[in-house]
Amino acid sequence: MTTQNYDKSRSILGSDESFRLLVDSVADYAIIMLDTKGQVASWNAGAEKNLGYRQNEIIGRHFSCFYSSESVNEGLPEKTLKLATENGRYEYEGWRKRQDGSRFWANTLLSPMLDSQGTLIGFAEITRDFSERKNADYARSLIEASLDPLVTIAPDGKITDVNAATESITGRSRIELIGTDFCDYFTDPEKARNGYQQVFRESMVRDYPLELRHANGRVTSVLYNASVYKDEDGAVVGVFAAARDITERKLSEERIKQQSREILELSTPVMQVWQGVVAVPLIGCLDSQRTQQFMERLLDRIVETNSPVALVDIMGVPTIDTQTAQHLIETITAVRLLGAQVVLTGVRPAIAQTLVHLGIDLSGITTRSSMAAGLLVALDLLKLQVVKKSENHRGD
Amino acid sequence: MPNGTVSVIKIRDILLVTVPSDPDDITVSELQEQVLYAMERHSAKGLILDISTVETVDSFFARTISETVKMVALMGGLSVLSGMRACVAVTTTQLGLTFEQTLTALDVDRAMDMLSVAMDDKGDSA
Amino acid sequence: MNTLCQGEMPIDTENDIVMARKSVREAAVTLGFGVTDVTRIVTAASELTRNIYVYAGSGIMRWHSINDSNVGLELVFEDKGPGIIDVKLAMEPGYSTGKGLGMGLPGTKRLMDEMDVLSEIGKGTTIRIRKWLRQ
Repeated sequence: MTTQNYDKSRSILGSDESFRLLVDSVADYAIIMLDTKGQVASWNAGAEKNLGYRQNEIIGRHFSCFYSSESVNEGLPEKTLKLATENGRYEYEGWRKRQDGSRFWANTLLSPMLDSQGTLIGFAEITRDFSERKNADYARSLIEASLDPLVTIAPDGKITDVNAATESITGRSRIELIGTDFCDYFTDPEKARNGYQQVFRESMVRDYPLELRHANGRVTSVLYNASVYKDEDGAVVGVFAAARDITERKLSEERIKQQSREILELSTPVMQVWQGVVAVPLIGCLDSQRTQQFMERLLDRIVETNSPVALVDIMGVPTIDTQTAQHLIETITAVRLLGAQVVLTGVRPAIAQTLVHLGIDLSGITTRSSMAAGLLVALDLLKLQVVKKSENHRGD
Repeated sequence: MPNGTVSVIKIRDILLVTVPSDPDDITVSELQEQVLYAMERHSAKGLILDISTVETVDSFFARTISETVKMVALMGGLSVLSGMRACVAVTTTQLGLTFEQTLTALDVDRAMDMLSVAMDDKGDSA
Repeated sequence: MNTLCQGEMPIDTENDIVMARKSVREAAVTLGFGVTDVTRIVTAASELTRNIYVYAGSGIMRWHSINDSNVGLELVFEDKGPGIIDVKLAMEPGYSTGKGLGMGLPGTKRLMDEMDVLSEIGKGTTIRIRKWLRQ
C-alpha cells in the first residue's frame, strides 16, 4: 500500500493536478479564478474558509457577491477588473462580505490571466484576511491620537518610535527622532538617562519629572510613566514611555503656594491696638521662613504706625526650641534698632520652663504672661495711665 | 541725595546730623570728625543721627557710627540713632551688628523727646 | 520672566564700593527682589567689595541673573590677594584679621542663600554668593 501511494504521489508531483492540490491546500489565502466577466470559475479551500461559500454554491456566480451592496452600487467590482486589466495587476484593501453577511478587512491582489496569444481569459484573485493588520493599524491610530507624548526606547537609549504628540512637543519629525538619543531632548540629559535605565532595572517608573526641550527652545515640564515591553518569548525589547504635560498642574500648584503664603500672612496680623502700640499674636510653629516674613511685616508696621511699642504674643506657639528663640531674639533686636521696643507676652508656664532649660537668655527683654499685662507695660512705657471713671462722671 | 554731604544742624543744645542715603567710606569717616568738632564748637549735649534715608548699613558704617556714639559719650554727650529703615534693621541684625550701646528712636521727633527728658534728668540731678 | 542681567566691574578704589552697591541694587531691583532682600544683597556686596579693597587692594565683581527653575542673582568676587589661610575658620562667627568688626564672612553668609569661598594662599580668593527670588 505504502509503495503504491508513494508511487502515485510521485507521478502526480509536477503535474497540473499537483498544482491544483497545492492551490487547494492553501487555507490562509482565498485563491479564486474569475472569468473575463467576473464570474467565479474556480475556488480553493482558502476561499471557502475566508468567504464561507462551498465550491458548488459559488461557481458561476459573479464575484460582486463578496462586496457590500454600496460597493456594488458604486461599481467597485467592475472597476477593480478594469484597473487590473489596464495595469497588469491591481492590489487593494477594503471590506469584504462573507456568505453569512459578516465582514472582514481584506487585502486583494487581482491579476489578469492571458493565453499564449495574449488574449484575456480571466482573472486570478488572491485575497487575504488582514483584520489583524487592521487592528494593529487601529491601535497605532489610537497611539497617534493620544495627546500624551509616547515614545519607545531601545536598551541603548535610542528612540525606536514616537507618536504625533512627541513630534509636536519636541518640534521634530518622527524620522528625525527615530534612532537618536532619547536624552538629547531634555534640559537635563543625565536625569533622562537615569530615568530610562531605572525602567530597564525595575521594569517601570511612575511620575518621573523631566523637562522636554522643543527645537525652538521652549521647555515643557512633564512627568514620565514608563514600563518595559517584551517580545513573544518574554524578553525585554525596550521601554514604552508616556509623558504627561504638567505645565498646567505646575501653574495650579503655584497658585496653591501663593494662596498658602497669603494665608500665612493672614495668620500673623499686625494690629494697632493703641496709638503707639502694635500687637501680633503668633500662632503655630515658627520656622525660619515664617519668622523672616513675620519680622519684616512687624518692622514695616512699626514704622508705618510710628509705634514705639510692639506686643509679640507667643501664647499660640506650641513649642519653642533654640532655633525659634534665636529668631525671636533677632526680631526683638531688629525692632530695637528701629527705635521701638518689644514686649513678649503669652509666656505660658511650659514655655517659661523650656526657655530656662534650654539656657536661652531673655533677660534684656520685657516679658509678661498675658497680653493684658503686656498692654499695661506698653501704656506705662508711653507714660499713659488707665483710670477708672469716677462715680460722679457716670450718666454725664 | 545719594552722595550728598552730611548736614549738621544745631537746635538749642542738640546737634541734628542727617546722613546721606548711600555714603562712601570717606564721607562716613569725615562724618565722625565733623560731628565731634561740631559737638565741641557748639558745646552740644545731645546728638541725633538721622539715618532715615540710609539704604545700606554695612559693618564699616556700623562700626564708625558705634565709635562716634562712644566718642560723643566721652565728651559728655548723649546720642540717639534715629529713623533706621525696617529693611536695614533686618539686614543689620542678620549681619550681626546690634548697636548695643546706642539709643534708638523711630524718628527725629521722638529722638528729640528722648534727649530732652534725659538732659532734664541730668539737669535735675546736677 | 526672561529678565537677563549681568555685568562686571573692577574694584580698585574706595569709591568703587559705592559703585558696586549701586550696580548690585539696580540688578536686584530689576530681577524683582523685595526691598529687604535688595538691602541684604547690597549689604553683602558692600562687605565683600570692601574685603577686596582692604585685603587684596584690587579685584573684580561680576554679577548675573540665574534663570533655571529658580530665579536668582549670583555675585562673584575675585581677587589676586594674599588669600585666606583657613577658610573654615574665616567662616566662624567672630573671626577677623583686619579692620572689620569680625562680622564679614559669616555675617554675609547669613544674608545670602548660598555662599562658596575658594581661596589659595598667595594666589587669591573667589567668593560666590547667591540669593533666590522668594516666590
